[in-house]
Amino acid sequence: MSDADVAPGARETGASGLWRSLLALLLPILIVAMELGVYLLEPRVLSIGNLRNILIQSSYLVLFASAQMVVILTRGFDLSLGASVSAISVASALAMTGLDAEGAATWIVVSAGLVTGLGFGFLVGLFNGGFISWLGISPFVVTLGSLNICLGLATTISGGRPVFNVPDPFSSLLYNGKLIPGVPVPVMLALAVCVALYFLLDHTVFGRALYLIGNNPRAARLAGLPSRRYLLMAYILGALLAAFGALMLTARTGSGEPNLGGSLMLESIAAAVIGGVSLQGGVGGIIPVILGSLFITMMSNAMNLLRIDGYIQQILLGIIIIAAIFLDRIRSTRS
Amino acid sequence: MTTGSTDRGGAPPSVALDRFYRLYGAIGFLPIMLIGLVVIFAFVVPHFLILPNVLNVLRSSSYLVILAVGQMLVLMVGGFDLSVGAVVALSSVSSALVMAGLKDQMVDQAALIIVAGVLTGLGCGFLVGLVNGLCVAFLTVSPFMVTLGTASIATGVALLLTNGIPVYGMPVGYVDGFGRALWLKLPSAVYLAIAIVAAVFVLQNFTRMGRYIVAIGGNLQAAIVSGVPTRIYLVATYALCSVFASISGLALTAQIGSGQAAINSQLTLESIAAAVIAGVSLKGGVGRVEMVALGALFLLILTNAMDLLTIDPRIQTIFLGVIVVLAVALDELSTRRTKRV
Repeated sequence: MSDADVAPGARETGASGLWRSLLALLLPILIVAMELGVYLLEPRVLSIGNLRNILIQSSYLVLFASAQMVVILTRGFDLSLGASVSAISVASALAMTGLDAEGAATWIVVSAGLVTGLGFGFLVGLFNGGFISWLGISPFVVTLGSLNICLGLATTISGGRPVFNVPDPFSSLLYNGKLIPGVPVPVMLALAVCVALYFLLDHTVFGRALYLIGNNPRAARLAGLPSRRYLLMAYILGALLAAFGALMLTARTGSGEPNLGGSLMLESIAAAVIGGVSLQGGVGGIIPVILGSLFITMMSNAMNLLRIDGYIQQILLGIIIIAAIFLDRIRSTRS
Repeated sequence: MTTGSTDRGGAPPSVALDRFYRLYGAIGFLPIMLIGLVVIFAFVVPHFLILPNVLNVLRSSSYLVILAVGQMLVLMVGGFDLSVGAVVALSSVSSALVMAGLKDQMVDQAALIIVAGVLTGLGCGFLVGLVNGLCVAFLTVSPFMVTLGTASIATGVALLLTNGIPVYGMPVGYVDGFGRALWLKLPSAVYLAIAIVAAVFVLQNFTRMGRYIVAIGGNLQAAIVSGVPTRIYLVATYALCSVFASISGLALTAQIGSGQAAINSQLTLESIAAAVIAGVSLKGGVGRVEMVALGALFLLILTNAMDLLTIDPRIQTIFLGVIVVLAVALDELSTRRTKRV
């Protein structure tokens, strides 16, 4: 993990080192224990088909949670993720079906969809990051505003109905194509994004600067970092990641859905925080995001297999969120 | 900073301008905007200033005023309460279930049934607020995540209790005598909202708790060092916010005439928007209850005017988002300006 902590004077005695590695392994242990426990009640949970299913499902959440992680690192968060996913899905689907009806060539249609989606994401990031970094308004208010704007746009431009007939080449590009035989496309794409993010966060000035801005904004400014520009870039990067996830989801459903983002805002924050990304900023990385996303996906998968009522699932999600922040609290007091 | 002081030395502000800024500082941005909006709408929007519509706006804003006042208190101690909407739903459902359940056993005792239902609703609110407050105060975890968690739990419980189906069977007196009643020509909820605003005004200005809330939000460390029992007051603030939310939920239930788990999913965000428009700082320590009441009224007047102009509700959502961000941006810019002058 990216535990190159900037905290000064972090002495590591033997006991606290052991404690820390135990905490780091807690989530993987929990995941394995949960799957084995469920296996006793429902053997299908460890079938190849189900595991493959879990991998595919969690790759979307990995993208959204890493979008959230990038801005949480800077002590912010993005409430508009979810609403923006819906709007992007609808906008790109409309662009593609419109061009398809005009009889444009396939590659033009598909790339128009990609450009529309990513462009929309860029604009959302620019709006969020612009107000947050240049006017210093709280991320909560700004992303609350963009949440409403995106929600309104998603339902207005689609008329509240799904946009059907997204061309098949788009779906095969981002969902069911066969680039590498045996590996599902979403898993491959998510892995590629994870590797890229790992290098960006750990091996570039921009990436390291995000940690410093979250850890100690004053120090970052005094060190001469262009904090405002980096903050803006963080929100744009987050929105682009969310947009890419939205395009992948659109390819999967084969339609632009105005309700696609429904619970994603909550789930993406929960996945990041459960994985170990601290809401106080400056602590996180791609591995916590992957672990957190896997945990949430596996939990809901297990509960579905055990036929647990959806309402009870919602209650359990709330309990787990609160449990996760206790864990976060213990981590930060121990380290 | 230095450029600001040279500005002042270079051009002495005229007396009139000075007076204007002092007035502006005393009244604030929101009332001016509100009056401007009402005047414009009175001319532009048909049926805006007729009695039934005015009563309608007053009634529907009362529920939001009650919620936003509680939200303000929590924001002032540097927190957040994302669970108020869920508390509204939970208290609505639980009170309706108790009243409907007791109906057959206590046929002639409508008053007792109502008391039992109201107490159940208030109790649910108090319980959620207690959990929020204890987690925030004693475990010092982020209020954002705690209340997100309790919101999920409370919504889940409300849905589980009802399976998402509205609960009917409340006493007629509760609905007609309270929820939909006009007392002295004003909707009953308006009195409730005024009473709560007045109570919080007294709390803020004349009690120890009011001063402590400002102290905790302004500088938690300083408050602890000064001997303020911060934890107790944090718990009390969160509990108060949730109890206000359940009062709002009870009044709303009485007006609708049924307990609903999906009562209004937008309420949490609207309550924060109303507080933020009214200049409550998300960093804590700043907030005036009379402004928050106006903030809630402002949002409802705007929605009402858009409804009367038959603007698509989906586009209204976009407007709401733009207005929240613009209001805060304007506030930010104008405080920078007034600080400089």
